[in-house]
Amino acid sequence: MSKRKIAQTLLAAIGIAAGALGLTGCGQGAPDNKIEVELVSYKPEAVAAFEKIAERFNETHEDIHLTINSPNEAMTILKTRFIREDYPDIVGIGGDINYSNFLDADLFMDISDLAELGMVKQSYLDMEKELEFIPQEGVYALPYAANAAGILYNKDMFEEHGWEIPDTWDEFVALCEEIQSEGILPLYLGYKDTWTCLAPWNALAVGLSDSDTCNQVNMGQTTFAASYREVAEKMRVLLGYAESNPYAYSYNDACTAFARGQSAMYPIGSYAIPQIKQVNPTMNIGSFTFPANADKADNVLNSGIDLHFCVMKDCENKEAVYEVLRFLYEDETIQIYLDDQGGLTCKEGDFAIPAELEGMREYIENDRMADYQDHHYPSEMSVDAMIQTFLLDSGEDSVDTFLTRFDTDWKRYNRDLIRKVQQYQKEMEGAQ
Amino acid sequence: MKKSMTNRYKTFWAVTIPVLILFFTFNTLPMLKGIVYSFTNYRGYGSYDYVGFRNYIDLFTDARVGKSYLFTFKYALVGTVLVNVLSLIMALGLNSRIRFKSALRGIYFVPNILGGLVIGYIFSFIFTYILPAAGNTLHIGFLQNSVLASEKYAWVGVLIVGVWQAVAMNTIIYISGLQTVPQDVYEASMLDGAGKWKEFWSVTFPLVMPFVTINLVLSTKNFLMVFDQIMSLTKGGPAQSTESISYLIYRNGMDGGQFGFQSANAVVFFVVIVAISIFQMTFMNKKEEQL
Amino acid sequence: MRKETQKTNWVLTIVLILGTITVFFPLYMAFIIAFKQPSEMTNDVAGALSFPARFSLDNFKQAMEVTDFWHSLGNSLLITLATIGLAILIHSIAGYAIGRAMVEKKSFRLIYLYIVSGMFVPFSILMMPLVKQTAQMGLGNRLGVILLYLVFYMPMNVLLYTGYLKNIPMALEEAADIDGASTWKTYWKVVFPMMGPMHATVAILTALGTWNDVMTPLVIMSGTGQNTLPLAQLNFQTQFGTNYNLAFASYILALIPILVFYIICQKQILNGVANGAVKG
Repeated sequence: MSKRKIAQTLLAAIGIAAGALGLTGCGQGAPDNKIEVELVSYKPEAVAAFEKIAERFNETHEDIHLTINSPNEAMTILKTRFIREDYPDIVGIGGDINYSNFLDADLFMDISDLAELGMVKQSYLDMEKELEFIPQEGVYALPYAANAAGILYNKDMFEEHGWEIPDTWDEFVALCEEIQSEGILPLYLGYKDTWTCLAPWNALAVGLSDSDTCNQVNMGQTTFAASYREVAEKMRVLLGYAESNPYAYSYNDACTAFARGQSAMYPIGSYAIPQIKQVNPTMNIGSFTFPANADKADNVLNSGIDLHFCVMKDCENKEAVYEVLRFLYEDETIQIYLDDQGGLTCKEGDFAIPAELEGMREYIENDRMADYQDHHYPSEMSVDAMIQTFLLDSGEDSVDTFLTRFDTDWKRYNRDLIRKVQQYQKEMEGAQ
Repeated sequence: MKKSMTNRYKTFWAVTIPVLILFFTFNTLPMLKGIVYSFTNYRGYGSYDYVGFRNYIDLFTDARVGKSYLFTFKYALVGTVLVNVLSLIMALGLNSRIRFKSALRGIYFVPNILGGLVIGYIFSFIFTYILPAAGNTLHIGFLQNSVLASEKYAWVGVLIVGVWQAVAMNTIIYISGLQTVPQDVYEASMLDGAGKWKEFWSVTFPLVMPFVTINLVLSTKNFLMVFDQIMSLTKGGPAQSTESISYLIYRNGMDGGQFGFQSANAVVFFVVIVAISIFQMTFMNKKEEQL
Repeated sequence: MRKETQKTNWVLTIVLILGTITVFFPLYMAFIIAFKQPSEMTNDVAGALSFPARFSLDNFKQAMEVTDFWHSLGNSLLITLATIGLAILIHSIAGYAIGRAMVEKKSFRLIYLYIVSGMFVPFSILMMPLVKQTAQMGLGNRLGVILLYLVFYMPMNVLLYTGYLKNIPMALEEAADIDGASTWKTYWKVVFPMMGPMHATVAILTALGTWNDVMTPLVIMSGTGQNTLPLAQLNFQTQFGTNYNLAFASYILALIPILVFYIICQKQILNGVANGAVKG
């Protein structure tokens, strides 16, 4: 190449680059004179519903422009943005340990003056309180939607074979035996994505241990070895009734398999229903609470806050943000969300329980519900992977190994938290 | 003449200083910051405290970190050896008297130009569906289960993909090494009546030794930093058996709220990489001198 | 002559041709899956390996929409081209200045070692602080990624350029000096064009690295709505859901640009890579 040719090529390349930068660099700002409100939702599966909601909001509001982003791997992206100190105005996240951490890091605004909080069902407000490491003054989240986890089952298949819904653990095992003897796979697990291990784990744990187990451990009143033994043992029993080698199949694979009738039941939460229906829109799905106990009266439905909205502390337009929250909490808006996503609303009022969750009605109406235990597990401890490790461990003392590790790891990962909680307790005692 | 020399150095400084600033700002400065963060319990957001050497002490008692080092070393060691043996064989083959030489060289390089992530997704499908299907049809027991689902062998699956991609690059480097061996050296050894095998060890290998050094250092470093394949094949599973160090630092540092702790992990990882590279280079230099 | 006495080794040729199956098989699988419909996905080998019932571009069309293909492609092109262009300009002159000066000055020798030692710094240690730093500097975007690549590839490229300088006789520069040209001018007129082969090597090595890189754009640009081609594959995993056909159509789309480029410039690329190894 001659030097001129090289120079020309280079200039051209840089020119293209610079041009493209300039062209795409602008054009992302808000429409003129409008207050821009950005909401980041951690549910990419709800992107269609949120697009509809944002559109409706923008049609009816002249001075505010709402953008709802629902990125994939949203929690990682959200945390990366927090690391960058690049905050949206509102975040729609789950009621889990991430919320507790963000709150503890003082990222959220107190929204106790929002009138809509008066319309929230009490049990969800209580759940929010339990998520606070150290009891806070004020309210920092607006509960929006809840989900319920237990067993989803193929209704048509059950009717065809005349199987009965089990109420106790023994009945459940017997049912699995019966299904298996008819040559049908009772359960599909899909444990490749480690988090899926937590679905049956949580559903069993709420029935078999106290809802504040983690807190009790933090205060030194019990150990996981004592509280979780039965949960761990029953998790292992499930393996015998599931696809061979569940660690090969992901959540997507399991949803597809269940939708195609490859298994009679699927231990997962109501959040999976839209995905299953995507594969098989006409499927007749039923559900029941995980029968974890020997006595039906001891069973508890696993239900938690799937989505709540928090306002970032450094948000500048409180009024505009409140307007968005008020809009989100209107009955019609909630209905749009529920129609698309299923699940339950956190708002008091006349909302229908989705047909698929009819089987859980008595637990919902009698408030026999408890939050997901993993909402209190620190994410870096990766309890999901620990459960997967445990299930893969075929040694005789696998339960002991697992529970011992659970207790020691817990102490290490929660060291700062335990110290904080104990310090708080001391202060409270000192104040009295 | 003196004047022109000082002008010359003025220009050199004028060019070098901005480059140095750029390099310092985006390489050395963040590294120093990372070292500072490694002494805190920072989550990446919110407030934090300095915790002294706690993170470093924890590192050596953390089973998960230990496991990730074990996996990464095992992967890098086996990967490096396999890649170098395979690519040396490939290079010898592609450098001998064959037809379609340049077309074949071109084809064998293709895996290297394709991105690790997408290749990982494709292989993930093959491991999960195609191979088990083949195992079932042909009744081959060990194929019937996805290798990626096995706690014991998932790393082999990751290794296959890593090696598949890396062999391409190293083969090309070995070929250019073989081409530096002058023909008359072979002719001399032919006259001596040396066999092919002996010819390789006594003539070819010593001459490509510098390329072995390059390849060993390059592939060890690349294998140690494995990330894309983990992300697309296993996400560290099953049972955390394929968590590479880079993956763990990303996963828990960015997502898990262990910004401080994983910074300490990264500092240790850095020291390890430097130590291994220096060791390899001095060791291989000695070998080269011996030969 | 040895060349004439030895015949083509046909056995080896055939073995090597058969060996290309290891390269083609995964690509073939990806290709046919991308064309199939979900209903054609069966669980037996014959079905898995067979051709799709018909070749329709629907999957590709849909994949383009889902991943915003053109936009991601544009970003990838922009980042790669800008990085290459700037790397050739900046790294070559830095390599020249440092390479020539370090012969006599110890300070430049130290600078050289300082920059080249950057090769051993793993991205992991820089990642977390860089995320914070680029954001604070307003560089959590494509420009930031380009700047970072310039820094990440600086050690290797400076090493390559200074190494190549040995092939350029000082006499040429001295002659230009006597003619009264400044060092700056001498560089662009005499030295820069003479480093042509190394420019090609640097361009190719830098391009292969940046085009396929996931981690840097993942941590620096995630959440900004901008994707590179590989990043889009990662970010749209959930949108693909259970539709493997759609996903594979998208993977094929992501592979095509670099494959086409490779087929056109195969010779230069192979030479460039080999050149880098020999001179490095």
